[in-house]
Amino acid sequence: MKFYVCIKQVPDVTAPLQIKDGQLLQDSDRMILNAYDASAVEEALVLTEAHGGEVEVVLIGSEKSKETIRKALAMGAHTATHIQTDDTGLDSAVYARILASFFADKEYDYIACGKQAQDTDSGLTGGMLAEYLGIPYATNAVGLTYDNGLLTVKRQGDIGQELIELPSPGLVTCSNDMNEPRIPSLKGIMQSKRKEVTTLSTDDLGVDANALEVKTRILGFEEKPGREPGKKFEGEPEDIARKVATLLDEESGVL
Amino acid sequence: MSTVDTTIPALTQLSDDELMLKEAAFEFAESAIKPRVHEMDEAAKLDPDLIKQFFEMGLMGIEIPEKYQGGGGTFFMSIVAIEQISRVDASAGVFMDVQNTLVNNAFLRWGSEEQKQKWLPILANEKVGAYCLSEAGSGSDAFALKASAKEDGGHFVLNGAKLWITNADEAEIFLVFANVNPEAGYKGITAFIVERDSDGFSVSKKENKLGIRASSTCEVLLEDVRVPKENVLGEIGKGYKVAMETLNEGRIGIGAQMIGIAQGAFDATLAYTQERKQFGKAISDFQGVQFQLARMATDIETARLLVYNAARLKASGQKFLKEAAMAKYYSSEVAESVTSLAIDLFGGYGYVKEYPVEKFYRDSKIGKIYEGTSNMQLQTIAKEILK
Ligand SMILES: Cc1cc2nc3c(=O)[nH]c(=O)nc-3n(C[C@H](O)[C@H](O)[C@H](O)COP(=O)(O)OP(=O)(O)OC[C@H]3O[C@@H](n4cnc5c(N)ncnc54)[C@H](O)[C@@H]3O)c2cc1C
Repeated sequence: MKFYVCIKQVPDVTAPLQIKDGQLLQDSDRMILNAYDASAVEEALVLTEAHGGEVEVVLIGSEKSKETIRKALAMGAHTATHIQTDDTGLDSAVYARILASFFADKEYDYIACGKQAQDTDSGLTGGMLAEYLGIPYATNAVGLTYDNGLLTVKRQGDIGQELIELPSPGLVTCSNDMNEPRIPSLKGIMQSKRKEVTTLSTDDLGVDANALEVKTRILGFEEKPGREPGKKFEGEPEDIARKVATLLDEESGVL
Repeated sequence: MSTVDTTIPALTQLSDDELMLKEAAFEFAESAIKPRVHEMDEAAKLDPDLIKQFFEMGLMGIEIPEKYQGGGGTFFMSIVAIEQISRVDASAGVFMDVQNTLVNNAFLRWGSEEQKQKWLPILANEKVGAYCLSEAGSGSDAFALKASAKEDGGHFVLNGAKLWITNADEAEIFLVFANVNPEAGYKGITAFIVERDSDGFSVSKKENKLGIRASSTCEVLLEDVRVPKENVLGEIGKGYKVAMETLNEGRIGIGAQMIGIAQGAFDATLAYTQERKQFGKAISDFQGVQFQLARMATDIETARLLVYNAARLKASGQKFLKEAAMAKYYSSEVAESVTSLAIDLFGGYGYVKEYPVEKFYRDSKIGKIYEGTSNMQLQTIAKEILK
């Protein structure tokens, strides 16, 4: 089974963030593998370990994002493709277009993506990519099983879990509730240096200029407005109860 | 984001490999060790499942080359890993420290090709090792050891009692120093590879300790233990060299353990002082507390620079004896003072076991004792600067 996993490098969300003059400032320039993608890598590794096959990770990003590719290879992914671009302002649609060009001539059983990226939380790329490739697509998987060439996707619904059959070739986006991504072992770390990483540009992929045009731009960042202070009642219980009832009934109309 | 000129490396600037192992060790410590720390300290025992995970992570054979099924890493990677593990639990820290910097190190350096092929894959992947030098009557004066080895055909027959042996409870491979010719003094000391299941070999009393409680420290008894000649590590009569040279390097590992302890206590204190409110403010808002935190951070940074520099000197094949002694001496001072201050800043909460800092304090004390007491480090430093 050939599994592709699309991964993204994102800022370390545990590091302190500040917003200044509409810009996002970070204390550390530490970048990490998007947690949802880490779950996708983990699941692809578990499935290929059990049923045979290979996992290739694909990442669009700068030179620095090579370190994130190495992390996925250290976890156990077999090969990687790095689609190198220095443009940090790409939106989900452009990512999906670039990936669609990459996958156009590829043979694969399944593509897995994180259900969203920790930096933007947009959750669009996977769906758009499936649409561009014209392949079936399931979202927000919390579990994957593989049997007789078919993937069963477990999704968390409001009432119980939904099981979906996903024919091959297909695309699934993964939740981080799916598994506990493995920590790379020293062997994995040392072997990752020797694994094959193919570096491509968007030109190499023949992505046309129109597809690379970003249609949505981030204008800036604003502080989240603080919550309005609540009301505090003091006095005798009876009194307070009456006041609260009046508030709920007449002023706010909740009752 | 400014660009970093990596051609002018700071001591604390890690290579990609070192950084990846540091992060992996950090994550492993947080996810696998932290939830068990309190229980292991109370039970005075390492969780056997955790030991398995140490092997799976490759943390028990970091420098063992890949051709012997080890991690193929470097000495500096061992140091970085020991620091990260000790940041969460110094018992787990010394568990891997002894394996990597003493036992594996001795095999790598002094083992014959056959010995390496036989023992290194086992040490990297399944069996814990222990290093048996000290005895009841010989600690600082290690070469006054009394354990004896008498030649008998193709074997040596070992007798004696070793005290304070770290990992003895879990270990299956013991590096035992015994004297083949007491008349020759230290020049009779020889290193032997002894397996736990050998007849006459036993692990005896387990010490009930102040700190690093989950790390086993036991007496090891040798009663007519027959050890085949091919289990002599290095040359006969050169065991003192094996001991001295491995300990010289091992000290840097203890330095790493100490800065890990100090960092762990500091991280907890930094978080706590920003949460704890008195007089209507976080206590970290008081300048008096801020200065204490600043001093702790500076002390840790100083100790870390000493440890990293000693490790880099060793890695690059330069002299490091004095620097390693300085690193161990100073980092154990820092570990003790930082963890003590951490308790002060936690107030009453620092004194009870629901909070982590009292354990860091207890664990720190060992740094001034094992692998050469602080006085022995000072003696080494003095000898070097006065020669
Ligand atoms: C938890 C633990 C784990 C250990 N693990 C191991 C292990 O795995 N393998 C192993 O072989 N050993 C191990 N040891 C032993 C350890 O290395 C010794 O305890 C240490 O070397 C000190 O020896 P000692 O206890 O006999 O103290 P002593 O040598 O009796 O020292 C007592 C005091 O006298 C001072 N002193 C001694 N001589 C001098 C001098 N010439 N000048 C100035 N001061 C001096 C010392 O600095 C110390 O303060 C361990 C010990 C402990 C507590």
